[in-house]
Amino acid sequence: MTGNAPFLVVGVVFLLGIYAILTERNLIKIAIGISLLEASANLLLIVLGYRTGGSVPIFTLAGDVKTMVLPTPQALTLTAIVIGLATSALLLSLVMLLYRHYGTLDVREIRRLRG
Amino acid sequence: MNWQVHLPALALAVPLLGAFLSLVVGLGGRFLRNTWMVCVSIATTAICVMLLQRVLAGGTMVYVMGGESWNFTLPSGLSWPIRIIIQVDAFSAFMAATSSIAALAGAFFSLRFMDKFTGLEKFSALYFLLVAGMLGMQITGDLFNFFVFLEIASVASFGLIAFWRDRPEAVEASFKYMVVSTVSAMFVLIAVGFLYGRYNAVNIAAVARMLHMGYAEKIALVFLVVSLAMKSGAVPMHMWTPDAYAEAPAGVTCLLVAVSQASLYGLFRVCFTLYGVTAGSVVIPWTIIVMGVLSMFIGVTMAVIQKEMKRLMAYHSVSQIGYILLALGVGLLSLKDPQAMADYGFTAMKGGIFHILNYTMYKGLLFLSAGAVFYSAGTRDLNELGGLARNMPQTTFMFVIAAAAIAGLPPFNGFVSKLLIYQTTFAVYPLLAVAALVTSVLTLASFIKVFQTAFLGPARKAFEKVAEAPVSMLFGMAVLTLVIVVVTLFPGWTLSHLVEPAAKALVDQAGYISAVMGGGL
Amino acid sequence: MWEKVYSGFGYWDVYLWLLFFAIASAVILFIRSKGRGDYKEGTEQDEIFYGSNIVPEDGADMGVPAASAYWGFVEALKPYYNWLIELHTGIGSDYVGYFMLTMAVVAVLVLL
Repeated sequence: MTGNAPFLVVGVVFLLGIYAILTERNLIKIAIGISLLEASANLLLIVLGYRTGGSVPIFTLAGDVKTMVLPTPQALTLTAIVIGLATSALLLSLVMLLYRHYGTLDVREIRRLRG
Repeated sequence: MNWQVHLPALALAVPLLGAFLSLVVGLGGRFLRNTWMVCVSIATTAICVMLLQRVLAGGTMVYVMGGESWNFTLPSGLSWPIRIIIQVDAFSAFMAATSSIAALAGAFFSLRFMDKFTGLEKFSALYFLLVAGMLGMQITGDLFNFFVFLEIASVASFGLIAFWRDRPEAVEASFKYMVVSTVSAMFVLIAVGFLYGRYNAVNIAAVARMLHMGYAEKIALVFLVVSLAMKSGAVPMHMWTPDAYAEAPAGVTCLLVAVSQASLYGLFRVCFTLYGVTAGSVVIPWTIIVMGVLSMFIGVTMAVIQKEMKRLMAYHSVSQIGYILLALGVGLLSLKDPQAMADYGFTAMKGGIFHILNYTMYKGLLFLSAGAVFYSAGTRDLNELGGLARNMPQTTFMFVIAAAAIAGLPPFNGFVSKLLIYQTTFAVYPLLAVAALVTSVLTLASFIKVFQTAFLGPARKAFEKVAEAPVSMLFGMAVLTLVIVVVTLFPGWTLSHLVEPAAKALVDQAGYISAVMGGGL
Repeated sequence: MWEKVYSGFGYWDVYLWLLFFAIASAVILFIRSKGRGDYKEGTEQDEIFYGSNIVPEDGADMGVPAASAYWGFVEALKPYYNWLIELHTGIGSDYVGYFMLTMAVVAVLVLL
């Protein structure tokens, strides 16, 4: 059971993120929900690379190690973190512009485009 | 001949270089920036057309990024590929060529359309980033690389949709698109993570070779199909489409149409090549067919009541995507059954892929002509427009060609692809063809409404001084009109030389796998 | 060069349709040529005619606005349209809500 704990954490954080995006009314809380979602996806990628008893996947001067964790998902996760950074930056600047234009941060009020 | 093996990498490198150097070149003034934009667009289109020629002549092209040699896919001792591999088969090259022509038209159009805005070197940079992301989505052979290019294209499009930041609706449209797009991208990432966790590979050919269905693969398939269908605008996830397409500048909307086709490419690559016949059940093909029928019907019924020109056209975009989903869903349904495939499945796929080409061309032209009307007359509201055919004859002519093509009137290209779709979907279930025909009629109805209110009618006092659109904008529209007229006059040639190799490449999972796994030294 | 496009159930021939359009254009031009060009501009023959109603000052600007086109169609399908327009709320969280709903429905169908 403890071996599966990281995957349970991924699931819980994912569901929290989805819940935040669906039910929160404040735009910034929706942006936080998106960050939670990205965090859970990154955590899933890293946990997939774990091998029991493995050490840090650094080859140089590694010494006498039997197994290392996989390095590829760590590279994938770094890429995903950078993408998440760009997305969050743009999301928050759009929230700022929306506040300047509409005067409110309520997602139920910002609906001039409908129908 | 030797340098042409590097065409796949050039197709990504040239727009990226164009994007990053736009910021530097833009310091030199308006003329230099416009020249740079024109040169990079023409270079990208030339590269994609040469790529299409080479793939049609010589088979699937493979390119290893960062390897010792460009086709060294399996380094010695390893049995699966470890680097990012670009794999261009006939379907990828077809989509890349189509999208690059739409990008060229949009770039020419934006030269004059955007002259009321400031910060245009950033517009040019974002535009070429979007082109690079779109081409990357279409030619990559690697799942995580597909996710990265999907995000590049998405973030660039968020910036471009909100480009008119003084207008609150544009920022609102970009924000709403951004929220749902980021959620779907996270689902794609989780699906890629599932597949990586099971097979320790992210290369599409490698995973397709080793795939066998279990719970994780089924969940990954669901995540990928629904997320990519959402990015292309299928109902019931289509609501970002009218907001985003209406509020973006018109040249950008022309490119966004091509970008949603790239997500559709990803959807079909996953369904046909990654999963193929190992998917087993018929749930996913029927899901795609049902989404297609819903998109067609809901898209067009919402479009009939719209009052704003570009929002109306964006709802039609949703309904045309429904046609493509329907046709390729029928093809997916008959993948297991060779008799059905020979009877109607392969022709349905040809109809769907031909419709992709037609739809990109005429939808881009419709958005560009709406943009030309907005530029000249200053309004997009159909209640206020009227009688513009006297002032803008060339725009009216090109609008009529595009509207006839989208409504499926003979002899235009829209009719040929729709005919293939009607006849083949009738063989699966008659009501599907009935839905397609009703949608065609309603499409014609709404475009008659647009044509009559915007272009016909008496001359209004408010529009006396309206002049024809500038030459560069007309040139952008003429590029698309030329392609529509060529495809209208030569449907047989287009079908047998462009569409059929693409359809064959899509069905041929073994060929796709062996191009990567069988190669190398 | 202009071969027929066979769809397995029928065919499409570009030659035939171009011939059809040539004949149709000839007929249309013939009918147009029968019109009269001898009206005098600027006189009573040139004015707007609204049945027997008075024509207001800005008569050229009046017309059926686009919002009332297809009124009969929309009225006949009013229950459907009311439901459809209610669905398109314009709220951003609802967009994600529909996406999650579709994802859940398809996941249940695939996994069962």
